Amino acid sequence: MSDTPSEAPVKSILPKWVRGPQDFVGGLAMMAVALFALWASSDLQGMHGFSFGAGTAPRMFAVLLLLLGGGVALMGVLQAGPHIAAYSWRGPLFVSAAIVFFALAIRPLGLVVSAFAAFMIAAMGSQETKLVEAVIVGACLTLGCALLFPYVLGLPMPMFPRFLIQ
Amino acid sequence: MELFANLAHGFAVAFSPINLLMCLVGALVGTLVGVLPGIGTIATVAMLLPITFGLPPVGALIMLAGIYYGAQYGGSTTSILVNIPGEATSVVTALDGHQMAKQGRAGPALAIAAIGSFFAGCVATVLIAVLGAPLTKLALAFGPAEYFSLMVLGLIFAVVLAKGSVLKAIAMIVFGLLLSMVGSDIETGASRMAFNIPELADGLGFATVAMGVFGFAEIIRNLDHGAEMNRNLVQQKITGLMPTRKDIADSTPAILRGTVLGSILGILPGGGAVIASFAAYTLEKKLAKNPSRFGRGAIEGVAAPESANNAAAQTSFIPLLTLGIPPNAVMALMVGAMTIHGIVPGPQVMQKQPDLVWGMIASMWIGNLMLIIINLPLVGIWVRLLRVPYRLMFPSIVVFCAIGIYSVNNAPVDVVLAGVFGLVGYWLIKHDFEPAPLLLGMVLGPLMEENLRRALLISRGDWSVFVSRPLSAVLLAIAAGLLVLAVLPTLRAKRDEVFVESEG
Repeated sequence: MSDTPSEAPVKSILPKWVRGPQDFVGGLAMMAVALFALWASSDLQGMHGFSFGAGTAPRMFAVLLLLLGGGVALMGVLQAGPHIAAYSWRGPLFVSAAIVFFALAIRPLGLVVSAFAAFMIAAMGSQETKLVEAVIVGACLTLGCALLFPYVLGLPMPMFPRFLIQ
Repeated sequence: MELFANLAHGFAVAFSPINLLMCLVGALVGTLVGVLPGIGTIATVAMLLPITFGLPPVGALIMLAGIYYGAQYGGSTTSILVNIPGEATSVVTALDGHQMAKQGRAGPALAIAAIGSFFAGCVATVLIAVLGAPLTKLALAFGPAEYFSLMVLGLIFAVVLAKGSVLKAIAMIVFGLLLSMVGSDIETGASRMAFNIPELADGLGFATVAMGVFGFAEIIRNLDHGAEMNRNLVQQKITGLMPTRKDIADSTPAILRGTVLGSILGILPGGGAVIASFAAYTLEKKLAKNPSRFGRGAIEGVAAPESANNAAAQTSFIPLLTLGIPPNAVMALMVGAMTIHGIVPGPQVMQKQPDLVWGMIASMWIGNLMLIIINLPLVGIWVRLLRVPYRLMFPSIVVFCAIGIYSVNNAPVDVVLAGVFGLVGYWLIKHDFEPAPLLLGMVLGPLMEENLRRALLISRGDWSVFVSRPLSAVLLAIAAGLLVLAVLPTLRAKRDEVFVESEG
């Protein structure tokens, strides 16, 4: 995995003593996850006697993650490491949009519409997409899925928009 | 002989028409996945989990197993012909295999890869059959303390064998353990960290998370580099599949060593096919009289890793079938598949479901035979598939995954969650955290918690139970020793060296 750019240091908002920003930020994020888990499980019952309560194990692992995250962040201070990799926005944005659209549309609009639309949205995630080609492949895929899931595999699923059927 | 009776029973099950068909479908899908870069075994098995709902359990598992070892075959084909490893397991095969193809010896390279894989597959099948029964007996001697320690050992193995920072790998495991805690508590039924979201009350779906961190995250990451990958196909015709007598003489010992090494690494928890192929290549290079031949088309460099990855892919079923502990992420998904069909993996499976266990073992041998027969003639088709541009492939995978996740519970929330985990996975990759240990932690989490609680309840809260019971103490001692070794600078350098080979 060589996603880390090796070019000249980008302007960093982190202070100078952070020598491995990738690890430093990664460790901090793990600590944040751990703190969140600690907060989320704070209302659960702890040990009673020598038997575990519902909250014992989550809190135990959360504390462990807090320590490990701290360790990773500390390594980021002590050891020179790679910079934070550049993120692109296009791929993540359109792929997530396609997924969210599918989730919202599958119940009211049915498989055919939501699968095709999700395909087109996801396809926008790359600059190299050609419209006509994408429409053809998207239509074929939609047809294939519309046959495969409900009929061949017998998984019940709404096919067409609700307002058309009623 | 009980062994032969069992195997005969297995073959009777596996030779039923429906199971033969499942085996063929699995092997073909596996090869396809292995050939196509940008879509991995883990994502595929996760994607196909819902599809197995309607199938009988034996057929479903036979198909999923076929995908796993089929991918090892497919990956090697593209490694050799076009220098694009379709799977991480065949990265090292590309080093020498593609050089052979450039010298016009693609045929022998493919043939040796197939023969090596087949041989390794046969040995591994017998090994599973032989080791299955005794290990199951051993498992019966295990109490909760031993189970807990064994899982700790498995997770530590995963850490030691993963690439990159040991600290970060452990952090990922604990992150996975925490994710597994979401949902109802097994003993009290209390809702944990579910924030009153009804879909979370049952816990995070394992397939959902797997599809997110392995499927979606991988796609988003591939888009970073631009959808068009550099694919310079070897256009010349493949002539003469038959290896020469010298090829066979050179590769026989390599195949044998690769098989042994792969079988061992496959059984060890945390091991698996990727590590096995790297280790086998390194071993061959160390043993060779003239190491400089490696990287320039040495046939041993194809034979050893290909045998090793196939052997490991199959022997990793041993801990799953006998102890109920998945040694790697794909096996973790197999646990998911078994649970869907109401089968609890563990020592009792061997006794209660002989059809399933022995049928699956026998089907592996049949599947390997099918692969060697169908793969060599189909090489041309597989290579042509590589010309399908990624810009058309990735939206298809996104849609297919989304439908698949939705169909598991008919829950749109699951689809959104998978998307969220896709972004989480993307972030993890950017920060050089490995997602595989996370998945392993998530699968082992409930098992670990249950056994930890039970062990402490039996010992009346005395933590020393883990070191006072001899078997448990030994397992923990091995885990501790491994961890110390992994952090030692000299061994770290060696370990990194093994992984550097892949980038060369």
